[in-house]
Amino acid sequence: MPGTVAKRTEYLNVIVAPLADVYETDDVFVVKLDMPGTTKEEISLSISSSRLDIRGTVGAILAENAGIILSEIGKKTYQRVFNLGDGIDRDRITAVYEDGILTITLGKTEEAKPRNIQVN
Amino acid sequence: MQREINNMFDRFFGDDVATDSAKLTTWAPAVDIAEHDDEYVVKVELPGVAKDEVKITLESNILTISGEKRQDKESKKENVHRMERVYGSFQRSFTLPSTVRSEKIDAFFRDGILNISLPKAEEAKPKQIEVHVR
Repeated sequence: MPGTVAKRTEYLNVIVAPLADVYETDDVFVVKLDMPGTTKEEISLSISSSRLDIRGTVGAILAENAGIILSEIGKKTYQRVFNLGDGIDRDRITAVYEDGILTITLGKTEEAKPRNIQVN
Repeated sequence: MQREINNMFDRFFGDDVATDSAKLTTWAPAVDIAEHDDEYVVKVELPGVAKDEVKITLESNILTISGEKRQDKESKKENVHRMERVYGSFQRSFTLPSTVRSEKIDAFFRDGILNISLPKAEEAKPKQIEVHVR
C-alpha cells in the first residue's frame, strides 16, 4: 500500500514526565499537568508526608491490528513526583481530569496563608 | 509610495510581531497515524485546546491541523512557580494518499486527543479477486 512506511505490531512503552504549571493563590496551590489520552480511571494520585506522586497510563491509542504509519504518541505511562513543603492541608486536596489536563488543587494550612498584620 | 513604506513597516513592526508573547511560540503536537482496511485514523495530542480553536483542512491531499492553545486566565496570575506547558499556535501537515473521501472526514475530541477519521475511497480498499482457472 503506498504511503505505508512500515507495519509495527508492538509499541514501545515509555515513561513520560508530563509538563506542569504550578501556581499559588492566597489559599491554594494549583498543579496543572498535560496528560492527554489517559482517563480518570487510569490516573493514580498518592500523597505521602512530603511527596505528591502522579501516574497515568495511555493504552495503545491506535487499534492493534492497524498498520502504523506514524507513532509519536504510542503507549506510555505518565509519571511525575513533586516534593511538598509544609503548609499543605492534606485534607483539602482535590483533583479533576478534563480535556486531557489533570488539575490538582492543594489547600494551604491556616498558618501558610498570607496574613495582614495590623500596625498599631 | 508612502503607503507602501507604511505597509512594510506594519508588516515588520505591526501586530504580528512581538506584541503578544504567545504568538511567538509555535509548537507541533505529537501525532499517531494508522491505516485500516477502510480508513486512515489520525490522533493528535491537544490537551486543553478548545474544539473551536482547531482547524482541519484538506487541500490537494495535504491534511493540515492547525490552531491555537490559549493560556487559561488563572495561570497568568502572579505567583507562578512553574510554567512548562506550551501555549500558542500549532500546526502539523501530512500528505495523504489521493484516495481519501474528503467529504466523509470526521473528527472529535476525547481526553485531550483529537481523533480524525479519513475514509478511503472504494478503489483504495483492499480487494480479493478470485480468478477462475480454466
